[in-house]
Amino acid sequence: MSTYVYAIVRADHPFGSEELLGVGEPGAPVRLLTKGALAAAVSDAPEGLRAKRRDLLAHQKVIGTLSDCGPVLPMRFGSLSPHDDAVRMVLAERGGQYAERLRELEGRVEFNVKATHREDIVLRRIVSGDQRIRELNARTRAGGANAQQERLRLGELVAAGVREQETRDSALIRESLRPLAEADSPGPEMGDCLCNFSFLVDSSAAEDFRAAVSRLEKEHEHLELSLHGPLPPYSFVESAQQRSA
Amino acid sequence: MSIVPEQSYAADTRSGGGGSSSLYDVLELVLDRGLVIDVFVRVSLVGIEILKIDARIVVASVDTYLRFAEACNRLDLESGPNKSTGLPELVGDMTESGARGKTKGALSGAAQTVADSFREAREGSSDDKDKETSRPRARRTSTRRKEESE
Repeated sequence: MSTYVYAIVRADHPFGSEELLGVGEPGAPVRLLTKGALAAAVSDAPEGLRAKRRDLLAHQKVIGTLSDCGPVLPMRFGSLSPHDDAVRMVLAERGGQYAERLRELEGRVEFNVKATHREDIVLRRIVSGDQRIRELNARTRAGGANAQQERLRLGELVAAGVREQETRDSALIRESLRPLAEADSPGPEMGDCLCNFSFLVDSSAAEDFRAAVSRLEKEHEHLELSLHGPLPPYSFVESAQQRSA
Repeated sequence: MSIVPEQSYAADTRSGGGGSSSLYDVLELVLDRGLVIDVFVRVSLVGIEILKIDARIVVASVDTYLRFAEACNRLDLESGPNKSTGLPELVGDMTESGARGKTKGALSGAAQTVADSFREAREGSSDDKDKETSRPRARRTSTRRKEESE
């Protein structure tokens, strides 16, 4: 039976008193495999495991619970080792690098910030800020012989304006929040948000970070920000050097 | 099995923490971030394509241009006596839903991109590639076979 791996922690990680259940139905009990100064939180992997909601939640819950009581290196969802011994072998071979990263992550959490435009406000600004767009807008609204052609031209100009605004806002968000964090990492690109950033924040600065996000949103009425966290440091399992390598 | 995005599952695991965060809000982190160790395999993520359904995608396409043009035409720039009432608004609603239909193509395109990026992330493992090409039933069988041979 293969072994599902949730996270790497220290061998002396205070696992918590209650039993932790992981992936599968019913959830398989989570146990620690120890090797030297490190341990991996694992459980038996159910047969035919796939990315279903129940198991995604279980994965997230196990890592979150572990993260509440000590530094963790979260594994990406669905990491399977052929057996327990292979996990111990990995800990033995690469323990030094994981132990160092755990030290660096101690007392830090991830915050994820996604931004979208309040479209009406952005479009209004683009239209009223550019005479050519304003005129095209008035003409296409009235209809007319070349309306379709002009509508395309209007849309093209506006789309370019929106893109520019997205680039500016993305930089604004990163620059405003970066000073409050120890590291940042662009999240996976999502179709529906103009930017997706994760920040590594010292737990003691979490409230400041939260306040900075809501201040940013208040100061820029065309931006809608969603803040998620504190999260286990999914985006920071590798140091900045490792990530750029 | 796809993730149903409309529903929010309170999955915030940190005490006193993120409050409104749900699994869905950070799904992309759980699936696309976190430590990858090359000697481990990853389960197939086939079926995860539907990450966001309300995606507003800015791509250089006729559909996008028309959607923006329609949205600008609908803007109430004056908010004065010229404001249109009645029938024009109805027409506006209709073009809006029409535009939404048109953006669907771009949307599944984005979902494809997400799926592709997951695929890329998986390609380090040949084991996974085998899984991907087999059907779910076959995959289960092959897993079982592997276990039996161990």
